[in-house]
Amino acid sequence: MIDQRGLGRELDRRGLAEWCVVERDQELGWVDDAVVRAEQRTRWQVTAHDDSPAGRGSARLAIDGVDGSPRDVVDQALALARAAVGVAWQASPQGAPARVKLADPALDKRRPSDVAAALVHDLPRPSGATVTARASCLREHASASSHAGFRTSWLATRVRVDALVARGERSLAIVREARRLSDLELDAAIADALEDLELLAAAGPATAGPCTLVLAADAMLDDGLGVWAAFASQADAVTEREGLTRYREGAAIAPGAAELAEPLDITSDGALDFGVRSAPIGDDGDAVRAFPIVRGGIAVGLGLSPREAALRRRDPNGGVRNLEVAAGSWTSELGVVSSDRVIEVRRLRGLAIDRYTGHASLELALAIDRGTGKPLYGGTIRLDLIDELARARRSATIVRRGPYVGPSAVLIDRAELLA
Amino acid sequence: MLASLGVASAQAIAWATGCGGGQTPVRRAEPEASGEVRTWLRDAIAALAGAGLGEPHALAVARGRTTAASDVLGASVARGRCAGAVLSATDRGGVRREQVTGDLSQAGIAAAVKALAGATPAPARVAFAPPQVWGAIPVEPDDAALLERARQLAHDRAMSSRIVYWAGAIDVDDATLWAIAPDHDREQRLVRVRCAATRVAWNGTRPVVAEASRAWSGGVAEHELDEDEREAASRAALALYTPSPFEPGEFALVLEPSVTAAVIDAAVPALLTASAARRPEVARRLAVGASVASPLVTLVDDPTIAGAYGGFHFDDLGAPAAAIPLVDAGRVVGRIGPRLRPGHIGPADAAPSHLRLAPGDVDHEALRGEGYLLEGGLGAMVDPSSDRVVISIARARQLHDGQTTGRTYADLELVGELGPLLASVSGVSKQTASFGLRDERDGLPRWRSIEAPWLRATGRLRARSQP
Repeated sequence: MIDQRGLGRELDRRGLAEWCVVERDQELGWVDDAVVRAEQRTRWQVTAHDDSPAGRGSARLAIDGVDGSPRDVVDQALALARAAVGVAWQASPQGAPARVKLADPALDKRRPSDVAAALVHDLPRPSGATVTARASCLREHASASSHAGFRTSWLATRVRVDALVARGERSLAIVREARRLSDLELDAAIADALEDLELLAAAGPATAGPCTLVLAADAMLDDGLGVWAAFASQADAVTEREGLTRYREGAAIAPGAAELAEPLDITSDGALDFGVRSAPIGDDGDAVRAFPIVRGGIAVGLGLSPREAALRRRDPNGGVRNLEVAAGSWTSELGVVSSDRVIEVRRLRGLAIDRYTGHASLELALAIDRGTGKPLYGGTIRLDLIDELARARRSATIVRRGPYVGPSAVLIDRAELLA
Repeated sequence: MLASLGVASAQAIAWATGCGGGQTPVRRAEPEASGEVRTWLRDAIAALAGAGLGEPHALAVARGRTTAASDVLGASVARGRCAGAVLSATDRGGVRREQVTGDLSQAGIAAAVKALAGATPAPARVAFAPPQVWGAIPVEPDDAALLERARQLAHDRAMSSRIVYWAGAIDVDDATLWAIAPDHDREQRLVRVRCAATRVAWNGTRPVVAEASRAWSGGVAEHELDEDEREAASRAALALYTPSPFEPGEFALVLEPSVTAAVIDAAVPALLTASAARRPEVARRLAVGASVASPLVTLVDDPTIAGAYGGFHFDDLGAPAAAIPLVDAGRVVGRIGPRLRPGHIGPADAAPSHLRLAPGDVDHEALRGEGYLLEGGLGAMVDPSSDRVVISIARARQLHDGQTTGRTYADLELVGELGPLLASVSGVSKQTASFGLRDERDGLPRWRSIEAPWLRATGRLRARSQP
């Protein structure tokens, strides 16, 4: 039987230089229109480093279950670490875990499968539309220990709904994920989808040409971080060290980005209460910290694992997690002064971001020509996201959705719509 | 799929690919343990039947994964194992319920029975079918040998100082599955191996990523990515491209198999599965019998192909593997149902296994005429609502009179609607190439493979990067 204390004793006894064990006892409920699933599992993450004159060897084992012997686990970790020795490094002293709330009290006593079933059952189903969905609810108790005698534990919950809203001949998919039930905001999501389905039914094909672009929340946050994921890739310390990013610490993220009236500020906050990517510590036992990625249009921070941090002689920060983008002062009531037509993008069919250059292709599913009020479908927008988001006017209204907290819309001045 | 993970250190590759959810070094399902597992599962079925639950079924999985990777920053191995069981039955209210446990032991399965049945019921008498077993060569990969292979994959004769990043990786999944119900008792062992070589070089202001890979089911040493294939990846990364901007337009095209595979990999899950058919647009456009492609296009999902990376002997409902015709001579003839939980214990999914686009009868070089030869499929987006397709392509070689002119453009995309693109297919090669793909959803692996020929078609091509 694997247990945390036994693993710790065995790791200490074998003289590993550094180690961390994270145990997660999880209850998962999952429901769709065909099946109700209930799952109980225990997951372990064992990270161990072995030092030798040739350098440091590292091993990570992901374990699912409790059956087995701590000695076998440590044998395997040691063998793996010794098979792959790299440069020597030493982690900085363990920081205090982030103080962060991750569990919804409303999910304390209920069975996760009941919560998931209720989520599907209680979805609004307006007349004339069909809503099909699957939902999941996870409740976990996690605990961690390390070679330095550090111990911590926490509770976490997560709920997720994937729904398909259909009316007539058209449909839209919705995904919402949150730590708390109240953060899912499914009623609003379905109402927005229905509104957009009506617009789609009346939409005509988009025509090519220059435009000013307004990215609304559903388009901006396509698949989680959406367009802001470009900054998460640029702040990847490994990729940066390999010289494959355009992001350079201390330099403006784009020419003139630091001289703007409202320069861009982005923070990675893994200690955000109820943030879907929040945690007290990372899988390697490193304390999670909020850190700035961009300040005043200047690149100032990287997501640092213990190894990357040690190689740079800094403190680890748990990597890039939830992104907080500073609000701007633009509101749609102020309108848009532009010689080009103004296109408000409501939904995307697809978003592809080149993680090295930040260039992106946005395939439009639904947009509105603000000048004529006519809905449009189709078309492609090409953007250098790093440059354009640095200069974009950000809304004063804040939205919180999944791993993102920030402006609910951005306005981009120079764009070219391709048919 | 290393390219899709992005360029990362060997440690990151190994850790990212090696330790997704559901790995465990707990008791291996060695042959001697197989009988024990079968007994526990049979007991569970008898107990569920005794509780009056309908259509009881038990699925158990014991899976191990070893990933060795070597790159510019060093070398690393990750290893993990996972075990668990899914008990399912229909309750008195007609609801299908599944109870999942990560504890593949007698006590773990008994606890799952209790959770599903509400108590420990008296077992019913069940006459089980005799066991059917599909074995495989036992595999316990040697870390040092795998690391050496990964190091070899990271190098080749064409390496040069212009290559700023290189990596080699070998990934071995070894899964044993049991599926037991009153009418069947099946066991299979699937060993899936994938090796890949990745090269990155700068081309102007952007890095060019090239990857060569090979994937199969069978012995770890059964195939290898040879020197020529690795060298081809380096040459693709180092290729010098025509600097003038690409003029977009409608062209005659030859799609190399990796480009064809990218289209198939995006289109089938989006359009030809039971879950895709929930969309009214898809149900209408791709109704059975609808003409959606040229008569030269025949597509089958066939998990029975020997050695296919995505193949299997029976699905997670215990049904023997069988080919599902999807498109026959351009017409829709079927869809993939929710059957596949290939070696893990996650929810059943309507996902492809080994997709095979039927070959034609001409040599691929005979497909060339005017236009462009598209090489290096980087991925595709298919919008199920609108039929819009965008296929990212590493390079396009200009063709004139069946020969390449020397003009090669990097980073393009083929855009338009999928229906007209497939309807324009006017030639299919007799040669094919296979691609094995592995990604994870919710921490659970999904294996699939695609066998595709060269295609001749027409479509709109344009530059991918910002003008």
